[in-house]
Amino acid sequence: MVVQSQSIWRKPTDTGSSSPSLSVCSSPSLSLPSTPSSSSCPAPGPAPSGTPPLGVISEGPGELSLVIDAEVAQRACQEVLQKVHISLMYQNRVDVGGSQNGAGPEPALSVTIVKPAQIQIREVEDDPGSVKSARRRQRHNPSKQSWLLRLFESKLFDVSMAISYLHNSKEPGVQAYIGNRLFSFPHDDVDFYLPQLLNMYIHMDEDVGDAIKPYVVHRCRQSISFSLQCAWLLGAYSSDMHISTQRHSRGTKLRKLILSDELKPAGARARRDPLALTPFCPAVSGSGEHGLSPSKRTHQRSKSDATVSISLSSNLKRTASNPKVESSQDEPVRLAPQREFIKSLMGIGKRLATLPTKEQKTQRLISELSLLNHKLPARVWLPTAAFDHHVVRVPHTQAVVLNSKDKAPYLIYVEVLECENFETSSVPIRIPENRIRSTRSVENLPDCGMTAEQRAGSFSTVPNYDNDDEAWSVDDIGELQVELPELHTNSCDNISQFSVDSITSLESKEPVFIAAGDIRRRLSEQLAQTPTTFKRDPEDPSAVALKEPWEEKVRRIREGSPYGHLPNWRLLSVIVKCGDDLRQELLAFQVLQQLQSIWEQERVPLWIKPYKILVLSADSGMIEPVVNAVSLHQVKKHSQLSLLDYFLQEHGSPTTEAFLSAQRNFVQSCAGYSLICYLLQVKDRHNGNILLDAEGHIIHIDFGFILSSSPKNLGFETSAFKLTTEFVDVMGGPDGDMFNYYKMLMLQGLIAARKHMDRVLQIVEIMQQGSQLPCFHGSSTMRGLKERFHMSLTEEQLQLLVDQLVDGSMRSLTTKLYDGFQYLTNGIM
Amino acid sequence: MSQVEKRAGLLRRTSSSKKPLKEKVVLMYDEIFKEDPAKNNPRFWDELFLMKVNLEYLESKLESVDGEEVQRIQDNINSLFHHCVQALGEEHQIKVVNALQTLCALFRGVHQKNKSASGFDIINMLMGFDKAEQRMKDLMERLDSLLCGDGSESLKSLCLKLLLCLVTVTDNISQNTILEYVMINSIFEAILQILSDVSSRGQHGYDAVVLLALLVNYRKYESVNPYIVKLSIVDDEPTLDGMGMVVHQALTEYNRQYKDKEEENQGGFFSTLTSMVGSMFIADADEKLSVQTNEAILLALYEAVHLNRNFITVLAQVHVYFSLLWFYLCVCCTVMNNPELPLDPNLQTSNLLITFLKYASIVMQDTKDEHRLNSARLCLIILTCIAEDQYADAFLHDDNMNFRVNLHRMPMRHRKKAVDKNIPSRPLVCAVLDLMVEFIVTHMMKDFPMDLYLRCVQIIHKLLCYQKKCRIRLHYTWRELWSALINLLKFLLSNETTLLAKHNIFHLALLVVNLFNMFITYGDTFLPTSNSYDELYYEIVRMHQVFDNLYCMVLRVSTNTGQWKEAASKVTHALVNVRAIINHFNPKIESYAAVNHISQLSEEQVLEVVRSNYDTLTLKLQDGLDQFERYSEQPKEAAFFKELVRSISLNVRKNVSLNTLSQDVLLKEFSTIS
Repeated sequence: MVVQSQSIWRKPTDTGSSSPSLSVCSSPSLSLPSTPSSSSCPAPGPAPSGTPPLGVISEGPGELSLVIDAEVAQRACQEVLQKVHISLMYQNRVDVGGSQNGAGPEPALSVTIVKPAQIQIREVEDDPGSVKSARRRQRHNPSKQSWLLRLFESKLFDVSMAISYLHNSKEPGVQAYIGNRLFSFPHDDVDFYLPQLLNMYIHMDEDVGDAIKPYVVHRCRQSISFSLQCAWLLGAYSSDMHISTQRHSRGTKLRKLILSDELKPAGARARRDPLALTPFCPAVSGSGEHGLSPSKRTHQRSKSDATVSISLSSNLKRTASNPKVESSQDEPVRLAPQREFIKSLMGIGKRLATLPTKEQKTQRLISELSLLNHKLPARVWLPTAAFDHHVVRVPHTQAVVLNSKDKAPYLIYVEVLECENFETSSVPIRIPENRIRSTRSVENLPDCGMTAEQRAGSFSTVPNYDNDDEAWSVDDIGELQVELPELHTNSCDNISQFSVDSITSLESKEPVFIAAGDIRRRLSEQLAQTPTTFKRDPEDPSAVALKEPWEEKVRRIREGSPYGHLPNWRLLSVIVKCGDDLRQELLAFQVLQQLQSIWEQERVPLWIKPYKILVLSADSGMIEPVVNAVSLHQVKKHSQLSLLDYFLQEHGSPTTEAFLSAQRNFVQSCAGYSLICYLLQVKDRHNGNILLDAEGHIIHIDFGFILSSSPKNLGFETSAFKLTTEFVDVMGGPDGDMFNYYKMLMLQGLIAARKHMDRVLQIVEIMQQGSQLPCFHGSSTMRGLKERFHMSLTEEQLQLLVDQLVDGSMRSLTTKLYDGFQYLTNGIM
Repeated sequence: MSQVEKRAGLLRRTSSSKKPLKEKVVLMYDEIFKEDPAKNNPRFWDELFLMKVNLEYLESKLESVDGEEVQRIQDNINSLFHHCVQALGEEHQIKVVNALQTLCALFRGVHQKNKSASGFDIINMLMGFDKAEQRMKDLMERLDSLLCGDGSESLKSLCLKLLLCLVTVTDNISQNTILEYVMINSIFEAILQILSDVSSRGQHGYDAVVLLALLVNYRKYESVNPYIVKLSIVDDEPTLDGMGMVVHQALTEYNRQYKDKEEENQGGFFSTLTSMVGSMFIADADEKLSVQTNEAILLALYEAVHLNRNFITVLAQVHVYFSLLWFYLCVCCTVMNNPELPLDPNLQTSNLLITFLKYASIVMQDTKDEHRLNSARLCLIILTCIAEDQYADAFLHDDNMNFRVNLHRMPMRHRKKAVDKNIPSRPLVCAVLDLMVEFIVTHMMKDFPMDLYLRCVQIIHKLLCYQKKCRIRLHYTWRELWSALINLLKFLLSNETTLLAKHNIFHLALLVVNLFNMFITYGDTFLPTSNSYDELYYEIVRMHQVFDNLYCMVLRVSTNTGQWKEAASKVTHALVNVRAIINHFNPKIESYAAVNHISQLSEEQVLEVVRSNYDTLTLKLQDGLDQFERYSEQPKEAAFFKELVRSISLNVRKNVSLNTLSQDVLLKEFSTIS
């Protein structure tokens, strides 16, 4: 603390001497000070010499330029913030905004900003926002806010707090400061709060918007994926506004700006006539850009995209008779391929919805995807993935239509090639489908190009790959490589050899005898040992596809793919939802992820699996599927077993290691999701919405009914969460140790969550802004949520509460009734 | 000569005068057959190609030339040929059209005249030995540029017709020596280009594919045919797709026609009544559902599958038909702006393999007539090639690629026509197996198609080998296959004497028994459930009489000396395990029945006995059950293909000459252009 305060006090003078390394101590997350240029661009031109560290925004000559001098702004903020008492924040951070407003002296916190702000204004005369805000600032009186500044400068100040202040503080100075400060956070951290940021941008007042916009614009220039992400979210969150206001809203404007693809990196723009751009967005071009974009190549690259590799957009439009229509205009190429890709995926979903049967849907899906394949590879990617890549192929035969009554969500697998940077790396060359054989025969060693890690993995699954180097160079079935399942080596070693290859040498005239019983036994053994598969059902095609272990699927698809031999080949999967609003899902994802990190931080072994959500619009999006998991409904329907028996079948008898670890996983995940269900009031918990993965975890999906919304179903599901006797049976009954462990975990989890309640509340609260989502229906949403954290209870009282909740849920009649209701109405078991 | 004149004068009908008024072009032709036509009229050749061609006259004129005359006018004919080739390069499209047609007449006429003459004489007569190479080179280059250029589609069509005409001008394609020049000056690339482009494929795809199939068969077994080499290495996706699409459309068209005819035939009560009455009068008028089979296209499919390994992927292209439609829609209404495509939701997706299987199921129904027999054989050969290919097998067995395949089943007295609607959607290999089973049960007749049966059983064997190697447990009702095979054995036994006169039935019996041996010894690797293994034993034990009789028969033959001794003794050895099973379980079942005082055991009871008595049964491992002879065209099939190509040639020639060279359309087109 001493060090920190020192640094803060030293700061004004230090910044005067403009040492770039200085603010290291103030923003711990970065090695370089919080300039956007320093964090993103490797070779900043004018920046290093004598320019201040924070938020430098400069433009090349000829362009309309606006410089928010970061140093000035920072100093201003500091002066302002000095007046704020830090104790306020530490006691109740969330309420800071309110108290600032309420208390007499506090609102004045930014008066001292006046001078620097005026300097700004002189430079930016066409930015009405800042003029206004600056004027407003002038009205305020200075007061002691040093503590707030100290907080802002401190190590503890993270994105979460920044977002919180941005939302709660009504002070333009603070908002502007945080707006600048955003540049200094790691991109990933800020990305997590992107929905919040954009929602604030759309629905809150201008000051907040002005504070956020430079950052957003800056990031949009840097990254295609960020641009699209923003555009999609802006579209989705603007949709709740009234049509008339929506069209002119800030969100819509920004979205249009992004989609118009004007936000190219400065290098690219500089090559064009600057005058053509200026009318567009003076504020934007002025504040967001720093003129040192790393990617000067973008412009040329996009041109080469159109000609060399196949640009998706032009390709989709090109006619059969004239395949060389390839766009000569290079404008839309930056964002267009990905947009077209997403569009065609959505188009497929819409067309599928018109088909009556699952089977027809599946067939249509497969044929549509095979068409899509003709346009790949292209500079397109799956936004749900964690690494940079290009999509090269959609193994169309693997796609499945998911169970849904009237919509047609579907699951596709996508082959991608990992790359350094999908914007700059060149798009892979198309390898025709029929090249499979040649690539295979070229590649003698099946695992060449795999990493050592992968190789180790592949050994266990396919033990005798290496025995025969020529295995893949021929493709007759006569000489086809045989993959022995492992069990062969241990169960019936001698005779099994015969069942693989008959002895062909004519010399051995000695007759070989085998026992019929052995053959029969081997058959049933192997059937038992092979991971249980579900029987194919045309009405439920996804069950089989989802049951197959992920690694196996990856291996299988890799073998069949013309790109499979490439070392950077990866398989991804995604669920495409068309006609569904995923904004609530996104909210739930954020809450889940927040809770997950809280529990991790507090070392509570609760297990939950947030799955990524991509909101494309208010009624479409994509979901990252949970791999190796099937729904409880599918488990019950296909296995015809109780959950406990299914566990025994899958993992072995109750004393085995496998069963015990599966049970532990089950308990930890149950506890995690019980808390989630309670806190978020997740409803519609029928067995189709609860998945069970291969390791025994349960995973809740479909957060369509959370917080204030619940399905209109006559008041079923009154219990806090779903805990059926079947679940308890898997835990070893209500008197078992594991059940107590379950309750203990819930208590620990609740305590931990309570400790960091603000981080959770903040996510939800910001999204409530301007939202028509059913989960925010009514006025008590936030209050209810807050109450469920039970801040006022002692730990003993909390324990009692948990016991009550568990007991209540276990006894709940309504849970059982709801399952029965679902069985009757939707056939979900 | 009088006949010639009759044909020649169009105006003759109206005028009865002795000197008929001749067309100008006919006069000019006559001039060619007299002396050097350019001597009197230096613009003779220019004018000739402006005249509308009279094909018939020119052809018959060429035919009627006598031996000595040939010597005299050879120079003129050479010159005509030369000028034809030159005219192909003219800007004036009419000239090009006329030159193409004249060439056609030249080829045909000269061949017609010299049916027995050697190829060299013909070349000499047409082009002259010393210039032949240059002339043909020019011709092929001109044709190539016409085919690849941006010119009129009708012109391209005419080029292909000329080539088809040239290729089929002899009955036996390998005796057509002129084709040697077509080998040297390849037009393969032009054909591929036509196939790779959507619009040109639509118009000329069929001719191009047939032409390619024929060219590939030129002296296939004697020399290196560059078309074979080139076809085998094509790996351009759109081109192969295009070829597949042409074949697909032709087969689809056939299937559709057949279906229409079938529906026509069973249309309502009244028509059945009338046809019954009708059939009373025309006793055996064979009012069969006969749609002309299309061996040419099937041959093309065969060559593609057999020669080009990349083509196998085309078989699996799901959307062939569908995509075409989609493409046009794309062009019409910019699709991407309009996600709600007005597509017919009932449009079933299909692919080449499915269409082919349907086609095969139709063709195989009736193998009595020669063409159908050939078609059926070719279908089975194609299936053999497919079953041997690993990629195709992978596709056939892909659990995610499920299709409903409506195979045609022959209406038979003892079985109801299967209800089409209830066919489940399954991996394609099930359809292949169904087709094989269907063939096995429907062709046990006096005129036994032994060759087809052998192929059929071998296809099943190859599929089983793949399943065993890859441990694919196909959910197929194997029982149907088993009982079909047992019935086949039964048929062989009961018709032993008649069949032995013509065929080696022991070879077939051996293959069938070895299929059972596959199931018995390797069932653990590919049977879908443990129950299915029990069912196999049940089926064998239930039908033990057939196996007993077979054993008696082969034992008898193998102990006698005779030509079948060795073949029969092989079957005895192969029967070891089947007999072991029967001898092991029969007593057990009988004693079970005796102990429990049941006269008729239920299936469940027998299965129970089977299950509890495995352990005391020992089987002998037989050699090479999972080995098979790979398909090779030479020397076994060479004769078949020679005959097939001959019949295709005849057919193509007939069709080319009949309707396609009518030039009205062309003239209409070009008159507006020029």
